[in-house]
Amino acid sequence: MNRLSKATLLMLVLALLFLLGPFVVIFVAGFSADETLRFPPQGYSLRWLAHVFTVEAFQRSLLTSLVVAFGSTLLALALGVPVAYALSRARLPGAEAVRLVLTLPLIVPGIIVGLALLNHGVLALNLPVTLSLLIGHTTLLIPYAVRVVSSSLANLRLDIDDAAVTLGATRLQAFFQVVLPNIRGGVAAAFVLAFITSFNQVPVSLFLTGPGVSTLPIEMMAYMETSYDPSIAALSTLLVLFTIALVAATEKLLGISKYV
Amino acid sequence: MRRKLAWALLAPALIFIAAFFVAPVLALLAGAFRVGDGFGLSPLVAFFDEPLHREVYWRTLRIAGLATIASALVCYPAALAMVRVSPRWRGLLTGLVILPLMVSPIARTYAWIVLLGRNGGVNALLQATGLADEPLKLLFTEGAVFVGLLQLMMPLMLLSLVSALENLPADVLAAAATLGANRWQAFTKVVLPLTQEGLIVGGTLVFTGCVTAYITPALLGGPQVLMLETLLYQKVNVMSDPAAASVIAVLLLVTTLVVNQLLKRVAR
Repeated sequence: MNRLSKATLLMLVLALLFLLGPFVVIFVAGFSADETLRFPPQGYSLRWLAHVFTVEAFQRSLLTSLVVAFGSTLLALALGVPVAYALSRARLPGAEAVRLVLTLPLIVPGIIVGLALLNHGVLALNLPVTLSLLIGHTTLLIPYAVRVVSSSLANLRLDIDDAAVTLGATRLQAFFQVVLPNIRGGVAAAFVLAFITSFNQVPVSLFLTGPGVSTLPIEMMAYMETSYDPSIAALSTLLVLFTIALVAATEKLLGISKYV
Repeated sequence: MRRKLAWALLAPALIFIAAFFVAPVLALLAGAFRVGDGFGLSPLVAFFDEPLHREVYWRTLRIAGLATIASALVCYPAALAMVRVSPRWRGLLTGLVILPLMVSPIARTYAWIVLLGRNGGVNALLQATGLADEPLKLLFTEGAVFVGLLQLMMPLMLLSLVSALENLPADVLAAAATLGANRWQAFTKVVLPLTQEGLIVGGTLVFTGCVTAYITPALLGGPQVLMLETLLYQKVNVMSDPAAASVIAVLLLVTTLVVNQLLKRVAR
């Protein structure tokens, strides 16, 4: 190996250390035994990992986050899968415009989406907080659902559902009994990606959370402003472990990296 | 598939996006141009009359620009090394680069609070080695925001560059060598131009991500190092200034779109 290759390899190692080092820091801080946050901790224990489960604000906001993530993911798939199917199977004059409109939520910053929905929807219609969060997150997740399922449909032969229709199936039967079983990997990958995106979402939620109803990430940011104990480090440790488990399981079953 | 059926399948999603996304966002943006009962540019002008606003806008561009350049400088050599390791290793490394993208940005940003705080790791190290007598103020600085954003956005640049380098035909380097180019010439005249698009894609993603970041400037910058999104939050929740909030929304959108177009033009 020559000097140039060694230099690039060193850069790769440094880049990975910079990228992954912070996770080690979070783990170490999460197992702290100290009263306040310091690094390195003076002692180690499980007390803060246990403590986060007893904080009522975290329990409540976790529940809201899970409800919103499940709900908006299912709604985005229900709206997005038909779009992906129609775009892949029909030649429409306005197909490009439809694609553009359905990618816009990825281009417009989330904080704008949240504020716009608050000022020009939620307040006027007096929508409850959870429903507002559900709607806001769904607009963001539809593009993911369309994109991932579209790439899965692109790999599927066009004529299998036409064959089913020719053989006497209705379009609906053809979709549910022939197409859907063949793209279930893509749909499942879209589900996981959308779920994680909603669960980690901050900018869209920022203005939509209200008195007493908040999502876990927003609650964590609020907690940080008033407390300096290692709770957030402990909670972050749990979130990182949860994400690794989820991604590893999905990668093993579906190969999610194909769709990112 | 018949067109009528196709439109019927598209309609629910399009109506949903139109009602809960397009209409509210347009209404919000229009607020930036409202003057009395009519429309005009005076709210934009008034916004930039405020020195703090100019400072925040310039800081946002500066931090995003520096983070984009730094990520390219770090990731290009790293990507060169990554496409040369064995496929098994490359798969593992790709997984390690993608994984952080899935983890809550709050968890990822919080590590920097742990490291840069008064009782954090960096200050502990500085004091233990005698480089500092008392804790330095590292958190709530522009440097902290820069480091946090660089770490958050780096995977996007690295993945774009790796995919560009993977698509590089294997024999172009051999061809350049046969034609008498040394390694440096082969790199600047062949590899770099052929992977320019990966650099542009990565740069666009990183720059846009930094300009529209909220969590990192909120946690690592605070009210002392405001960026566009944290200023927007203050305008809404602290100062109740909806006109300024609308102007910032326009700025966020226009800035990201203009930079997208400019970089695309460079690629051509």
